[in-house]
Amino acid sequence: MAGWAKHLAGIKGVVLDISGVLYDSGGEGGGVPIPGSIEAVKKIKTSGLKLRFCTNETQATREKFVEKLQRLGFDIAVNEVTAPAPAACLILKERNLRPHLLVHDDVIPEFADVDKANPNCVVVGDAADNFSYKNLNETFRVLIGLENPVLISLGKGRYYKETDGLKLDVGVYMKALEYACDIQAEVVGKPAKMFFQSALREMGVEPHQAIMIGDDIVNDVGGAQQCGMKALQVRTGKYSWSFLYKGTERKTLVRPCDEQHPKVKADGYVDNLAEAVDVILKQLCE
Amino acid sequence: MATRRALKAVLVDLSGTLHVEDSAVPGAREALKRLRSTPVAIRFVTNTTKECKRDLLDRLKRLDFDIQEDEIFTSLTAARNLLEQKRVRPLLLVEESALRDFRGLDTNEPNAVVIGLAPDHFNYQMMNKAFQLILNGAPLIAVHKARYYKRKDGLALGPGPFVAGLEYATDTQATVVGKPERTFFLEALRGTNCAPEEAIMIGDDCRDDVGGAQNAGMLGILVKTGKYREADEGKINPPPYLICESFPHAVDHILQHLL
Repeated sequence: MAGWAKHLAGIKGVVLDISGVLYDSGGEGGGVPIPGSIEAVKKIKTSGLKLRFCTNETQATREKFVEKLQRLGFDIAVNEVTAPAPAACLILKERNLRPHLLVHDDVIPEFADVDKANPNCVVVGDAADNFSYKNLNETFRVLIGLENPVLISLGKGRYYKETDGLKLDVGVYMKALEYACDIQAEVVGKPAKMFFQSALREMGVEPHQAIMIGDDIVNDVGGAQQCGMKALQVRTGKYSWSFLYKGTERKTLVRPCDEQHPKVKADGYVDNLAEAVDVILKQLCE
Repeated sequence: MATRRALKAVLVDLSGTLHVEDSAVPGAREALKRLRSTPVAIRFVTNTTKECKRDLLDRLKRLDFDIQEDEIFTSLTAARNLLEQKRVRPLLLVEESALRDFRGLDTNEPNAVVIGLAPDHFNYQMMNKAFQLILNGAPLIAVHKARYYKRKDGLALGPGPFVAGLEYATDTQATVVGKPERTFFLEALRGTNCAPEEAIMIGDDCRDDVGGAQNAGMLGILVKTGKYREADEGKINPPPYLICESFPHAVDHILQHLL
């Protein structure tokens, strides 16, 4: 039994990252399930453990995203998913903020009920191809023109893995805007504490009773631990890429392997979601 | 300044110091001639992302300045020198007009990334390409790191934000080659056979020209033309060696006190 399993006593809920844990995105059909993950989700659901999906996905509305995952074979429902865009909408309404949006076309419907006239803040998401110079410049001009520039970033990931390689994530463009305007963004999504807390609230579980499983050492693992949860890192998704660049020649930059991250150490490392779930369920039986 | 050695080289900024847009600073042409009658080496140094040396030279010639192409040292030249030193093949994210300064470099199967100012290139696909190269070990070289600049139609993003984004994505630091980097000033002196302590810089940008040069061991003269604004001299510590009304006054000071 893995050494980390002995820390599982009292676990009542599991929080799962989606991209890189359940499936790899991109390509035809929008992605490919990671072997064993479809069954692993089913196992959690029949075990009696509470389950919540916590994603930073902002390339689609929550509804469309869940439809895609269902098509790929996952047992998942919209009301089981915590996602940044709906969370941001609540904040916008609460604070009377009218956003200028720099987001993916497919996520715009999430903001249908939000007043966007005469913007007094900027919301940036994973806009992918919409991250053109022109769009970024327009966004910059809105932001620099505000007396009190508010920049809300839907997550702050550096990159994610698609079937054809690593792609820049929203964090890169958040940093670009922060640097341009000399400001700090507010992050809605992982690793923000509030985001994990809202997922836990939905589950009715205390932080110390919950375990997060993700492929991002900083945003999934670090964020969950900050919140008082346990966290496992899977060696799928963006994780596996850490190894590809290890020991290659002519390198001036060696990306630190996630398991030697200078600041974050996961409670445990597993090959994939299937292994994590097997260990957790076995421990529960003992 | 008793300990300083005799002056052997003068670095001169272009825009804002010798000329403001398409007009020469009054008396600057004659002052340059006076400076040329002395034995000091002269280099013209500027941060540019868009204009190649030839464009700069054409403008200076139109304004009747007596300047040779090989006396001009720009942030693009600095980038090129660094590429040659490292023997790498660059992905050049610079505008068409700047490409001339990189002619002759092998750009097949790039293993280095140069960020200039290239609105046409700063799209998602190209940024991803740059990102993947850097992850594979390609050095990230920034022509400079300005946050934004002023365009006729308003403010526009400079190279800085894109450099900052790629630095964050790859958890690495770009090598910035333009002013106010120390290496820029040292590189500009190459071929003059003189040390930073034997050089002086004249410019209108307190931080980038004067601060940068003084940081590299040179003296710095701030001129009150171009982008100079009241109280700019307070932006750096130690303060400028000297503040002058304009380039001709700076030259007169050199002729009278430093030779």
